[in-house]
Amino acid sequence: MYPADTALRRPAVAVESVTKVFTQWRRKEGARGLFRQQKTTVAALEGVSFRIGRGEFAAYAGPNGAGKSTTMKLLAGMLQPTEGRISVLGMSPEKDRIRLMRRLGVLFGNRTELWWDHPVIQSFEWKKVVWDIPDQVYERNLDRMRELLELDGILNTFARELSLGQRMRADLAMMLLHSPELVLLDEPTLGLDVVAKRQMIEFLKKINREDGVTILVTSHDMDDLEEMARRILMISKGKLAYDGDFEGLRRLTGNSTVFTVTTDGRRPVLEGCRLLSEQHGVFEFEADLSCTPIRLLMEMLSRIDGIRDVEIRRAPIEQVIAQLYQTWRKDEGQTL
Amino acid sequence: MRRYFKLLGIYARMDLASLMRDGRFMALVIASDLVSNISAVSGIFLLAWKFGGIGGMDRFEVLFMLAYGNVVMGFLNMMGGCNALFPSRIIGRGQWEHMFIMPLPYGVQLTVGIFPFTGSSTFLSGVGLLIAALCNLERDFAWWWWGLLVLLPAVSMVIVVSCSYLLSSLAFYAPVQCEEISSTVVYSVERAMTFPLSGMPAYVRYPLLTIFPAGLAACLPTMILLGKTTLSESLYFPLFTFFAAFTAAHFFKKGFRYYVKKGINRYVSGGHRS
Repeated sequence: MYPADTALRRPAVAVESVTKVFTQWRRKEGARGLFRQQKTTVAALEGVSFRIGRGEFAAYAGPNGAGKSTTMKLLAGMLQPTEGRISVLGMSPEKDRIRLMRRLGVLFGNRTELWWDHPVIQSFEWKKVVWDIPDQVYERNLDRMRELLELDGILNTFARELSLGQRMRADLAMMLLHSPELVLLDEPTLGLDVVAKRQMIEFLKKINREDGVTILVTSHDMDDLEEMARRILMISKGKLAYDGDFEGLRRLTGNSTVFTVTTDGRRPVLEGCRLLSEQHGVFEFEADLSCTPIRLLMEMLSRIDGIRDVEIRRAPIEQVIAQLYQTWRKDEGQTL
Repeated sequence: MRRYFKLLGIYARMDLASLMRDGRFMALVIASDLVSNISAVSGIFLLAWKFGGIGGMDRFEVLFMLAYGNVVMGFLNMMGGCNALFPSRIIGRGQWEHMFIMPLPYGVQLTVGIFPFTGSSTFLSGVGLLIAALCNLERDFAWWWWGLLVLLPAVSMVIVVSCSYLLSSLAFYAPVQCEEISSTVVYSVERAMTFPLSGMPAYVRYPLLTIFPAGLAACLPTMILLGKTTLSESLYFPLFTFFAAFTAAHFFKKGFRYYVKKGINRYVSGGHRS
């Protein structure tokens, strides 16, 4: 069953025609600007609607300033929409904040919920009391987090002394101590090194797969998102620009494929393919499979002399997204 | 209620842990705080000692007023550990976002963050001075007077908190610019409250009992406790407190609604830092 079908029947998150407008004061040019400011409005979100089913792992992506963090804050009840309706786990974040927070986990990569001047375990114990977590649930979750996130070495370390990767692991563990049904993660891999990132991705996939925790995650790293999530919602200039799987996103930009051809030094000429890079006889091309089918591509390659190796791979999602962002910017420029 | 005490308990435990982390250092901090608090009130007390009293209050009545002020501010400092006494700091530093995601009413979150060990020095010095003043007042107090001695400081605390919250409501509109507005208000009240207003000209006394009600934080309630006020003056104290609390709550809620409806750091030029 496609995740969107589940979303329609049992949504963990339902966003209906949500608009969020902010007011902003701008200084006018010239000497008059010292005394008079102009009031303008910025629409961070404009009529956005989507649903996320229970147990889904969805990515929420978009260029800088697209409205990702605003959406996360709206879902977490930190902001209220100007128009539209939001339901999270069947509750209104505005009206049922306390009840919702018992079942929701929120993590912003750029801020910590740990007590800075206390050991990590102290923050966990604080959370147990504030969230009123039963002893049994707390012990079970703590044991699990210790094992999965390798926390033993840092539990008694003061939060201010942790590295970024360690802090993120501790924050993630703390967020999950009350067994949330839905987890909102805003840039959780921000600034993490390869090992820490790997660890975090594996962990998130595991809790989604084994515990059925619904996860909505934003990140600037599209490859990370593709590895984690099955569905991606893309937002651009406050509007939902794409909602589907990652393959669909690739098709949207022309189903392009990147392939590398290693030759004895001669540059191969391939009709309908774009040369991306060239270095010491290694040529990287891009081809649109909808115009140049794989059969035709293989035929062309087989006719070229001096070929030593060919490697075909899918276009990295980063590249697909970059292409999309550029298209959106171009469209925006034309509109202006 | 059991949950509330449990919450107080965890904050108290965390404060004790901070204290015990470096016991010698903390002992030094508390001792120097005590000395500093007693020194802060000694100037006015020495003046009262030298002249046999100030503004119709004898020297130990002045000491009683100074002690009263220390008890009020000390208790507030102790209970408002997590910046509950300085809400504009919470707003200006973007810390309200941590509060949104906690499954507790905001009122509970603001009142459970106590620092009973590391933040108790002013309160302890106040209690010490109060005992010293009571021992020297040479009066017989009725049983209900002791009830008033507990009740009136609580009402004075409401006045200080109301002033802080009323001005802090501005921080919802300009978080960065108003981040320290509550500390400015509270510290101003703290400084102005330790001066006996009786005997002052009306243009000094009345503003300090109305527009900037520092006189209600120590002077007027002390006069009530010492039986030196008229009935209307005594009634003015709780009535004004009720009005101040109501006004502060109204404007704070209004600012809060504005904040969640319209405010965000990225778009507002004076949005909170972080």
